[in-house]
Amino acid sequence: MPGALNKDPALAEREAYVARYGVAPSEADHATLLRMIEDQLKEGLKTMVEPFPETDREFAAIIDTLRPLGADQLREKLVISGWLLKPYGEEEMRCQECMYFLVHKRWCDLPELSLPAEPDWWCRLWRI
Amino acid sequence: MANLLWLQGGACSGNTMSFLNAEEPSACDLVTDFGINVLWQPSLGLELGDNVKAILEKCVSGEIPLDIFVFEGTVVNAPNGTGEWNRFCGRPMKLWAQELAAAAQFVVAIGDCATWGGIPATAPNPSESQGLQFLKRQRGGALGAGFTSKAGLPVINIPGCPAHPDWVTQILVAVATGRAGDLSLDELQRPKTFFSSFTQTGCTRNMHFAYKVSATAFGQRKGCLFYDLGCRGPMTHSPCNRILWNRVSSKTRAGMPCMGCTEPEFPFFDLAPGTVFKTQTVMGVPKDLPEGVDKKGYVKLTAAAKGAAPAWAEDDIFVV
Repeated sequence: MPGALNKDPALAEREAYVARYGVAPSEADHATLLRMIEDQLKEGLKTMVEPFPETDREFAAIIDTLRPLGADQLREKLVISGWLLKPYGEEEMRCQECMYFLVHKRWCDLPELSLPAEPDWWCRLWRI
Repeated sequence: MANLLWLQGGACSGNTMSFLNAEEPSACDLVTDFGINVLWQPSLGLELGDNVKAILEKCVSGEIPLDIFVFEGTVVNAPNGTGEWNRFCGRPMKLWAQELAAAAQFVVAIGDCATWGGIPATAPNPSESQGLQFLKRQRGGALGAGFTSKAGLPVINIPGCPAHPDWVTQILVAVATGRAGDLSLDELQRPKTFFSSFTQTGCTRNMHFAYKVSATAFGQRKGCLFYDLGCRGPMTHSPCNRILWNRVSSKTRAGMPCMGCTEPEFPFFDLAPGTVFKTQTVMGVPKDLPEGVDKKGYVKLTAAAKGAAPAWAEDDIFVV
């Protein structure tokens, strides 16, 4: 199956989403996208929770990694951003207090992520 | 009639350009309505060479009474304290500045460079620049911490990069019309009438600040620029959103973060890469919080504000 081996990973990821949800992330509605995120993390997707970007340089480096990703590369976005379905740390940091989180739209407005989110979730791009 | 002399040291002429755009009052109004006699100004003066030098010498000697000495730009001391890098009328400008300041009734520093040293004084400060009475936040400068002009006032600092034209002309009118005694200066010698409030005062994004909704790109009409884009409006003293630029707008109204240019530390973080137009944080919390707010209070305020934010705060309310 040389054709399958050479397949563009982004394309392969898109096809996998279409096969499971009937739609790719770039075309999915809010609820479907939310389900895609929850399913992957509940099924054991390990994300890069640490290191937490302590400085703006480190923050910018993560953003630079996210920026070239396409809207269908949802898994990479979740992994690189260190996405969690629960608050993080002793201070219980969570999306609810993050400045990128739109409370009513339940949306992460960070342009490089631009994904649905829940108030009690968290990622390492958290800023207050 | 009040004689005014305006010189430029290490300057880009930005404050002169700003001054010439003044509207309330205009530069012409200063002459026609408020009795200011402009002895010489780099962009307005007709004299050249020796004729300028003659004016300066007469001011220093007292032959021409010098009521207001305005200085724009830094006092350049390089190389090695000589000031030779900035010569004017046959000698270092720093000597003219010192002698004219001593001869003047009032001394007014216009713009960041003349007040604190501004961009030229940013590390490593190759031109050995200083402001007239400050180097950044440190008192002293070219004239020394104890300097007072003949009228008994220290240098009146009107910072900004550039200073708003009307800040300049309104202060010049106050001085020229004998109301300098009404001027109240803050600890950095800025007129309190302009520099007690914050850039944020009057900002159209205050609702987004209150509800912690962030702008995430320049030019967006919704969202506050403080949280992500490095806006210094909550900790910068200026009336930029009270006395609007060109009478119609301000940086923040146009979607551009305030850079804090009326504060001595400008440009902040010595322009290190990644520090301009990006809010500096430590573990996700801004390094510089709104003046008077501590970290604990800020976190609590954020939680409460986010919890109370109305849905419209997430939308662009400035719809054409």
